[in-house]
Amino acid sequence: MSSKGGDLSIRDVSVVFDSVTALDRVSLDIQSGEAVALVGLSGAGKTTLLNTCNAMTWPTNGNISIDGKNLSSMDTNELKMARMRIGFVHQQLSLVPNLRVIQNVVIGRLGHRSLIGSARDLLFPSREITEQVYDILQSVGIPEKIYERTDRLSGGQQQRVAIARALFQDPNILLADEPVSSVDPARAEATIALMKDICASRGLTLCVSLHNLELARAFFPRMVAMRNGRIIFDQPTDTLQSYEIEKVFSLVDDSLASPPLSAQEDGLGGRFG
Amino acid sequence: MVEASSGQRRWVLLTLLVAGIWAGFTLNLNPAELVQGNPSIAKEFLVHAISPALDYESEVPTGTSPLVLKAVHAAWQTVMFAAAAMGISIIGGVLLGFLASSSLMIGTHRGLARSVRIAIYGATRLLITFMRSIHELLWAVLFLAAFGISQLSAVVALAIPCTGILAKIFSELIDETPRTASEAVHAAGGSPLQVYFFVLAPQTMPDILAYSFYRFECALRSSAVLGFFGYPTLGFYIAASFENLYFGEVWTYLYTLFLLVALVDVWSGRIRMGLQQ
Repeated sequence: MSSKGGDLSIRDVSVVFDSVTALDRVSLDIQSGEAVALVGLSGAGKTTLLNTCNAMTWPTNGNISIDGKNLSSMDTNELKMARMRIGFVHQQLSLVPNLRVIQNVVIGRLGHRSLIGSARDLLFPSREITEQVYDILQSVGIPEKIYERTDRLSGGQQQRVAIARALFQDPNILLADEPVSSVDPARAEATIALMKDICASRGLTLCVSLHNLELARAFFPRMVAMRNGRIIFDQPTDTLQSYEIEKVFSLVDDSLASPPLSAQEDGLGGRFG
Repeated sequence: MVEASSGQRRWVLLTLLVAGIWAGFTLNLNPAELVQGNPSIAKEFLVHAISPALDYESEVPTGTSPLVLKAVHAAWQTVMFAAAAMGISIIGGVLLGFLASSSLMIGTHRGLARSVRIAIYGATRLLITFMRSIHELLWAVLFLAAFGISQLSAVVALAIPCTGILAKIFSELIDETPRTASEAVHAAGGSPLQVYFFVLAPQTMPDILAYSFYRFECALRSSAVLGFFGYPTLGFYIAASFENLYFGEVWTYLYTLFLLVALVDVWSGRIRMGLQQ
């Protein structure tokens, strides 16, 4: 457990977009320093759930609290402070392609700085800032890319820049939305291991949404499975029974009603097994 | 934005063509008018295009600087007016561009703050439309009447519509930039102004620069024309030589303007190439 804080509490949260229910009365508590995998198919509501945690999406009903403070009752400044404590690694990485790696990492800390201060950090970073960025890039394994243009890096390296940016923000909570959906399996495993290690060593709360059940089982002590905007199970990974894994499989059976059962199991075995 | 179908595009083109022909007839445009008036003067003017003057076509007092030097000096003055106006326009364009773009709305989902921002956005769009709907030369005439001939009023006259146009283009470039990075940075605590300057503007920088250079070209031409109102730019000398029918001199000044614009073109090309590397 970390002394930094980072408790996340989601209470009866529903999100409705144009009469489509993306989240349906979801409740979830994540303790400070915990590592949780959020699994489920596309459209299960994982992204929406993560987006409500830093108020990128506001819940239609229910409450989100960070360390006991309700997001919806915060004023603009309190909300900004709360957001600064949540690092977010997005599926599309959300980097500025034509800036250098150091600048993309420094952007993670804009919330802490004034307009002039942030301009100085970006254009003429101090030795201290450069060293901090270098250290963070070292922890994600690409220190030599510090002055490279971001769009010249490979997908895997850009992924690491996105993680470095989230870490440079100095968060208590790290959320990652399908961070490895577009990289090869070996790279995916390395990236998840990296995030897991960094969060463990810094005492950060980590919540990662994943398609890949195998990765979730290998790296996360707790797994939350979602379907159709609801949580279908939330329990320690090592107590996960085969019938519960079946439930995850059966999720897919529902959405792929037409192919024969054997074909579905083959296909899903590759994906989740 | 809704994409126009090819059928719609065809109708728009056809309508514009018909409107153009109709306008031509309404104005009684007649190609024969070109050879009416004084064909010999037209011929002389055109002949001088291949033999611009390298020296004055009349006696000048001793001590007058050579024609070519004078042209260079006038070109320099033209550049100075245009550069000063562009400096103001880029600063004004970037600031008004922010207020006229959707980045002003970043992160306001609730209450009064959103209404206030919508009002600022609307007012800014009206303001920049007003600024660019009046041509710089018209502004120059108005300022000349109001303040007399002053360098500042010339620069401001050039800067007003240019600021309006840059603000409109910048805001549109910003609005067309993908939102993923800006939303992410805002979600991490970045203010709308920080997101605008450090996330959205860098992504549009190549286009913003290219368009600013193009506007600088326009400002150069307008700055030259300001000479017709008495400012010491190329237009002043073109007007003076033209009145005296010194067509060789006129062409010398016109070619100087052409060289100036070509130079800016080459310069901007190099800078854009550099940015892409």
